[in-house]
Amino acid sequence: MGEILAPKGVCFFAYNNDQLDYVKMALTAGKYAKKNLHLPVCLITDEGSESWLNESQPKKLINEVFDYIVITNDKLKENRRRHFDSPWSEFAAQFNNSNKHKIYLYSPFEQTLLLDIDYIVKTDALLKYFDSNHPVCMFDNALTIRNELPLLPERFLYDAGIKMWWSTVVYFDRSDWSKLFFDTWAHVADNYAFYQYLYNFPSKLFRTDYCVSIAVHILGGMQETQVSLGNFDDTPIVNMSQKDDIIEANDINEWIMIAHDQKEEWKNILVKVGKQDIHVMNKRAFERVIPKLMETLNG
Amino acid sequence: MDDRLEKALEFSNYALTINNQKRNIRNRVAQLQIVHHLGGVFIANHETIAFVKALIDMKHKNSVVIDSKNNPITVKSLKDLLEKLVDAYTSATTEFDIENEKLKKARNIKKIMDW
Repeated sequence: MGEILAPKGVCFFAYNNDQLDYVKMALTAGKYAKKNLHLPVCLITDEGSESWLNESQPKKLINEVFDYIVITNDKLKENRRRHFDSPWSEFAAQFNNSNKHKIYLYSPFEQTLLLDIDYIVKTDALLKYFDSNHPVCMFDNALTIRNELPLLPERFLYDAGIKMWWSTVVYFDRSDWSKLFFDTWAHVADNYAFYQYLYNFPSKLFRTDYCVSIAVHILGGMQETQVSLGNFDDTPIVNMSQKDDIIEANDINEWIMIAHDQKEEWKNILVKVGKQDIHVMNKRAFERVIPKLMETLNG
Repeated sequence: MDDRLEKALEFSNYALTINNQKRNIRNRVAQLQIVHHLGGVFIANHETIAFVKALIDMKHKNSVVIDSKNNPITVKSLKDLLEKLVDAYTSATTEFDIENEKLKKARNIKKIMDW
């Protein structure tokens, strides 16, 4: 475990690939987290991505957002992910997430909130969990921006399978239970093919959501009830799907989006998302509004 | 398309959009009503506020209160809890009222979006 440098903070993993500028997204998400949570922010990345960050972004901004930068040198699994940008456009890119469980080692904080770079914190709602009794918290239910439940594969590992927990937002402390949880996550990640066979989840993509769901299931005595784990008080994670789009960011909080119908994808409605934390899964759409958001955030 | 159907579909879209926005506000309000106190999770609603106030009125200074997760929480100061609950309730309902008023005035999708 690395040195503990601060009592509380937020961490982001960001490894660039040939399609997506993850460090740029981490910079934006970090700026939001800092503005609304008032906590130090740590970026966990590799040498190549950090070098691109220094080359492409102003030094002042990097120093302002990231209090700590941790450089990793892990051998990451080959993991091609299919991305959508609306229902009508798609692309594939390497998704480096196989070392996410090592956050327990990499985080410089006593209490850590690990966020994905596409999770935008627009409220201070997550702050209260730093004072909760749970050593680990994650979301275990989700809503689309149309306030509908996601399709079945995003709710269960398979049709008759266990409930899915989301690794998009993970709060944890340094308790023994947290250590046990991350060790179990690491074990599942290391034996992914076996657990794929056992839990029958789709095999193509390495998903940390599956790893944490199985770790939770094992630690819960193979039951649905949880003793040590928190689920952010049953609040849902709000997912903007990869097939939705951001039309306009009126200001830093008020975004107008197009939300597609999950069953009839050509049908859309407009949605205004205000002060609400949101998981922006369409990364291309996120990248398109970053210049406007950063201009407003910096202004 | 038949003019009547076109107008009906336009209204249908408006209804879908405004209902979704109302649900967004309710979700936000529900989140603001969550109060963490001494390791317990309480919902700042009429029931909890009235119950804690009733205990105080009956001269209880402290009490074991069952929280929203069905766990017993030893509340050392009922007054402190009541203050927290009322604060959360007030900020939640104030935001609810502001957003709801905006929606009530919006007669088309563009107005709902404030665009």
